[in-house]
Amino acid sequence: MIETIRIGHLLRETALSPYRNLVTRPTGAAVRTRIEDALSRSDCLTALLDFSDIELLDFSCAEEIVAKLLLAQASHRPRFVVLRGLRDDQHDAIEQVLTHHRLAVAALIAGGEPMLLGWVLPDARAAFTCVCRLGRACAGDVAEALSWPESRASEALEALTLHRLVRPEGDLRYPLLVA
Amino acid sequence: MTRVIEVPAHFDDRSFEQFAAGFGAWPAEEKLLVDARAAQWASPYGLIGMLTAGQAIAEAKGERPLFTVPISDDVKRYWARVGFFRHAAELFELHGRVPKAAATGPSDVLLDVTPVRAMEDVHQVVEKISDVSSRILHGELGLERGAAGRFSMALSEACQNIVEHAGTSGWVAVQVYTFRRRLGRRVAVIAVSDSGVGFRRSLESTHASRFGERWGDGAALEAALIQGVSRFRDPGRGQGFKGIKGFIDRWKGKISIRSGSARLSIVPAWDDDVPLADHLPFFPGAQVQITIPAQEAESR
Repeated sequence: MIETIRIGHLLRETALSPYRNLVTRPTGAAVRTRIEDALSRSDCLTALLDFSDIELLDFSCAEEIVAKLLLAQASHRPRFVVLRGLRDDQHDAIEQVLTHHRLAVAALIAGGEPMLLGWVLPDARAAFTCVCRLGRACAGDVAEALSWPESRASEALEALTLHRLVRPEGDLRYPLLVA
Repeated sequence: MTRVIEVPAHFDDRSFEQFAAGFGAWPAEEKLLVDARAAQWASPYGLIGMLTAGQAIAEAKGERPLFTVPISDDVKRYWARVGFFRHAAELFELHGRVPKAAATGPSDVLLDVTPVRAMEDVHQVVEKISDVSSRILHGELGLERGAAGRFSMALSEACQNIVEHAGTSGWVAVQVYTFRRRLGRRVAVIAVSDSGVGFRRSLESTHASRFGERWGDGAALEAALIQGVSRFRDPGRGQGFKGIKGFIDRWKGKISIRSGSARLSIVPAWDDDVPLADHLPFFPGAQVQITIPAQEAESR
């Protein structure tokens, strides 16, 4: 199950004004609290955070919302997190703060194509693209597609699973938004 | 005795040192007169630098300084239109006729002189600038289409530093002008200034011991801008300047931070500034200038 959370809607509720810009740490922290509240009431496996109503996301808010949400996943009931509706400058902010923490998140860019933002090893990044292209894949599929030894593909898929960037089902790994 | 501080005729980040030297010791014991009669032009850095001086004197419970307004009608009109006199009247005893501010500011002003007192002000600043920045940054300076967002991110982070670290309020102004002497091109300039504790005092308790005898205004600026440290122990802190540096690098821009008696800059090829200027005249708080030049035709 996927829980879609419209960040622009939460921002307007939090700030009680028609802001479209996610700036300042207190605002980011308040929005993150709202997201965590929504997720705590949901049985979803995947949270889809929709930024399409947001004009600007500064580094402070990227840190407070995305990085801290992912860091908190370790202590709370873990979910898969996917971002949608980001603009290029918002990619920059999220990429920087996640790289700083050695975290990564899946994002859907224009046209619905998935990409990774943040830090993962190059093999994991290549495996992520491969799994998304194939629709689902085991280590053997990835090894064959990328001409890798199976152990290398297996390690890359393991890293993606650990970062909660693919959904595991037995030996198979699925892109996060594939049912 | 009244100490007279002359406002440089061409008042920018360079001639700011002449202005700062005029104050002597802080807090000044004499009555001060800031003499702007000969002023011909002031950058946003110069304008908010004067307000910062007035604010620092007020916060030190000093005697309200005098301020003589520029003789030039053009200069007076411009300073009125960007909101300088409105704020200066609260900090100085103004002498000379001040024109009424026009309803709308000049077109090369992205953001009037604006106080930053709380996080809410940062929201307002970003909201105000977002409507016009795209037209100027992309249309006039030739930056990429997404530049307005990145520019606003830099502005937001620079303003938040005041609220989070200065311990008092500050000022911001953003303007576009032609940078004839050093570059010969149009530039967009963000200037942010406060009269607060400065970088050295803000970082002292958490980082001074690491620097030992080297600790001072210059080392504190280096720690913040180059190493990305923060006084907060939260490991996610200190990323604002890192992000700003990324944009500066991408656009061949310049960032310069002055605090106490030092100024640290990331200097692009078009500028001849020194990376670190130390032993400057003391000036309260911190002053940040971010300069983004129009992109050269071949890079557009």
